[in-house]
Amino acid sequence: MQIVEIILSPLLAVIIGIFFLGLSRKIMARIQWRYGPPITQPFIDLIRLFSQRSVSHGHLFNFGIILSVAGSLMVVLFIPFGQMHPMSGSGGLLVILYIMLLAPLGLALSGGEAANPNTSIGISRQLILALGYEVPLLLVLLAVMTHYQTISIVQIVSEQQSTGWALFSSPLFVSGIAYFLIIPAILGMRPFEIIQAPQEISSGPMVEYGGPFLALATIQHALNIFIGLALFVNLFLSGAGNPLIFFLKMLIVFVLGLIINAVYPRLRIEQAVQYLWRWPTLVALIGLVVVMVVR
Amino acid sequence: MDRNQLIKWLKAPAKMGHKYSLHAVYFCTGCGIIEVPPSITARWDAERFGVLPVATPRHANLFLITGYVSVKTLRAIIRTYEQMPEPKFTVGFGSCPINGGMYWDSYNTIKHLDKYIPVDGWIAGCMPRPEAIFVAVTHLWTLIDKDMADGYKRYRDQYKAYRANQERALGKLEWPPLFPIREKQ
Repeated sequence: MQIVEIILSPLLAVIIGIFFLGLSRKIMARIQWRYGPPITQPFIDLIRLFSQRSVSHGHLFNFGIILSVAGSLMVVLFIPFGQMHPMSGSGGLLVILYIMLLAPLGLALSGGEAANPNTSIGISRQLILALGYEVPLLLVLLAVMTHYQTISIVQIVSEQQSTGWALFSSPLFVSGIAYFLIIPAILGMRPFEIIQAPQEISSGPMVEYGGPFLALATIQHALNIFIGLALFVNLFLSGAGNPLIFFLKMLIVFVLGLIINAVYPRLRIEQAVQYLWRWPTLVALIGLVVVMVVR
Repeated sequence: MDRNQLIKWLKAPAKMGHKYSLHAVYFCTGCGIIEVPPSITARWDAERFGVLPVATPRHANLFLITGYVSVKTLRAIIRTYEQMPEPKFTVGFGSCPINGGMYWDSYNTIKHLDKYIPVDGWIAGCMPRPEAIFVAVTHLWTLIDKDMADGYKRYRDQYKAYRANQERALGKLEWPPLFPIREKQ
């Protein structure tokens, strides 16, 4: 049974992530008063990208993108999705915090091998942005671990099934707000769409990615969206017992993030870090203090 | 969508992918680029056709050459075209790539672009309206269906002739040949 879940869970995550990519293009188009592509457009893009033949820059270039996708797939195995939790008995939140960094590092590895100054700028922006959102993220996760006295996400979810959503019925309300403030940074949506700024640095670390490489980078982006949303739903919205209701909760959070995405322009990287180390960190610190006082 | 089309897609998904996901490299040359932003914004929406501008030639498979081609621009066009992954499609936009257009007697423009890079189709006009771009995209879909949009294969097979034309127009080229040039007999 566990082997079926290990195979099925990343596959479902990829499909749901790509569906979210298509949904984002459609909703952004409708907000901008135009029709927009069909929701299955990223699937068509992936089919086209996999059937193209492009150049590679060497073995490290190939290895970097594969490392990035593998890192994201591994994180998906540790996040419970509905009733499916393939490997959540072994480490929970701490393991996720470590492996989540494999994805940007993989992109940085292959970006360094592609001899393009745009990739260097893109990689520096990506790692600085990761530095920016990791600080409030760590404080939020510390508050969650302190309140529930556990690092296992399955236990956190099952406790919320009995006591209600952590966002609304426990001292974790402030930490939930802090996490929601950094969700656009984790997902790479405006105002934090700094990594792939097509108008500024020609798609950043992905500028030298031809056909199949770009397909893998799109899959990694889709998995990144899934991981950011699934973590929020599991920790604060009591990830449901049914994959369908889980998906519905992720959809609502994603649409809220998209509405913010439609309105804001793009921040500069130093403005982004100034914001991320100021307000969400403050709110996360207050949340941590509240949790420790109530405890 | 009818059942016939669905079966065609399942039999040849690659062709369906090339048709409905034409990403155009945002190479803004000449006068025609003024007609491209209106066709990708809200009034004439090109994204519903799957056509999207991308910032780098490595992500693109459609190359719109929108306007007159000066000798300096030809260098950039050739380098951009050779970086795109195969299969790729080129569309000449406006009357200047066809036969020189308004600049037919200029010393600095290229009169027939098809000698230097392979062009799959042309859009007549000076400048064509955004609706003409969409008609051209649907014609390109028909060409891809019938396997007639094979400019990239022509470039590969007759690279010696293309390279000779390029060297005659631009002098010495500082990039090496893209495909190995075999001396036949």
